[in-house]
Amino acid sequence: MTQRRVAVTGGGVVSPLGQSLEDFHRSLIAARSGVRPLPAEVAQGSGVQVGALVDWDAAAHFKDSEAANLDRVAQFALVAAGQAVSAAGLAVDDPTRVGVYWGTGLGGSHTLEASYRQIYGKGEWRTRPLTVVMAMSNAAGAAVALRHGLRGPFANFATACSSSAMALGEAARLIASGRADAMVAGGSEALLTPATLLAWQSLRTLAPADPADASASSKPFDKRRAGLVLGEGAAAFVLEDEARARARGARIHALLTGYGNTCDAAHMSRPDRDGQVRAMREALREARLEPQAIGYINAHGTATAVGDVVEAEAINVAFGGAAKEIPVSSTKSMHGHLLGGAGALEFAAALLALEQGILPPTAFLEQPDPACALRHVALRAERVAPPRAVMSNSFAFGGSNVVLIAERAG
Amino acid sequence: MDTLARIKQLAAKEFSLEPEKLDPKAPLDTLGIDSLSFIEFMFKIEEEFGVAVSDEDLKGIKTLGDLERRVAASLAAAGKT
Repeated sequence: MTQRRVAVTGGGVVSPLGQSLEDFHRSLIAARSGVRPLPAEVAQGSGVQVGALVDWDAAAHFKDSEAANLDRVAQFALVAAGQAVSAAGLAVDDPTRVGVYWGTGLGGSHTLEASYRQIYGKGEWRTRPLTVVMAMSNAAGAAVALRHGLRGPFANFATACSSSAMALGEAARLIASGRADAMVAGGSEALLTPATLLAWQSLRTLAPADPADASASSKPFDKRRAGLVLGEGAAAFVLEDEARARARGARIHALLTGYGNTCDAAHMSRPDRDGQVRAMREALREARLEPQAIGYINAHGTATAVGDVVEAEAINVAFGGAAKEIPVSSTKSMHGHLLGGAGALEFAAALLALEQGILPPTAFLEQPDPACALRHVALRAERVAPPRAVMSNSFAFGGSNVVLIAERAG
Repeated sequence: MDTLARIKQLAAKEFSLEPEKLDPKAPLDTLGIDSLSFIEFMFKIEEEFGVAVSDEDLKGIKTLGDLERRVAASLAAAGKT
């Protein structure tokens, strides 16, 4: 069977680094960090000091009556997806041939937490009737489908930190196989709520505030790294059958040609090199690319002690000798870890390298850890000849590994 | 403010509608209020007026006028009027 190729024809972003794809890219180029001290009303008693919040004004996007019935995670999704659909100029002639694949780790945390606060906190055994449909993990993607009338395939992927990368990869396969002509795919997360922050804090995996500069608290691959910084936001893309996109004269940002998906089945939270290597190799194999064709890797790079080392080793194993030459960065140094939204947002970061030849950096990487032997893009963005292809890694609790490869449309 | 005026004001806010367009005799669906939205609205009505409307009584509410009568009856029963 001849597989169709999958074009990326539009993108949208709601992030701690700006609320459009263009603003997000500008922040990455400037190596600006969106990490900051968490306001007291967000952190409360959790002990979490820093996070990467979206500077969100729901009233700018929704009527009060709409916003009240949409969890923050769905609001982010609707705005990012709306930008992507509009940027792509997506025309839906047959809505049954266009669907939504979304990714979110937790779903409507704000809604759930408000409900529990009322029940357990205040001892009032009452909760909003919309609690179920606002908190369910498929609510954000369903809101996108509803808004745009997309009646084709739908799924919500909840594989923690690989959720939205998986949504993109699976959506691409759906189009390649002919089951859909276009898909809105991406993910969102909004779980910076006191109780969820406390749960993360209890894992002892979050970075404290950098005493000199709170915005520099996320330091992937650096000897001084102290853990991850949680973020929130959304990123969405319109993926489309390449022939269809060309026929309608759409601007093609990239082709999504490689998708690797593996499970470690080794440990619930500790990453496994072999699982990551297999995912990178699978993506390369699907894209029919030699390792040298990859001109930039957006690493998962969460800035945990173990995770960064395992990923660096995995890249070296998967790419062999070519690894020395391939620029790598973790943009989580600037936008924090969007968890379920991370894969899609970082795919957006990788597209900056692919389309413009601007490699976003690992900000604050002043003292690279020798155990993370990579060709780092450190501190500042680098300008290169636009590479043929780029890779984005997303590795998750539960052992899920997802790798995406985008190629220039050429 | 009387009970109907308060209900209209809350409904206008909840559903982004003009209060004067809320005909108390109009079936709720013709006002663009579906059953899920109405259940959510009832939750707020109960909070606002400090009443509880049973599932059985809820079934009889087809218009904002019905709602007013139900709330008024509950308030009267509770000696709140």
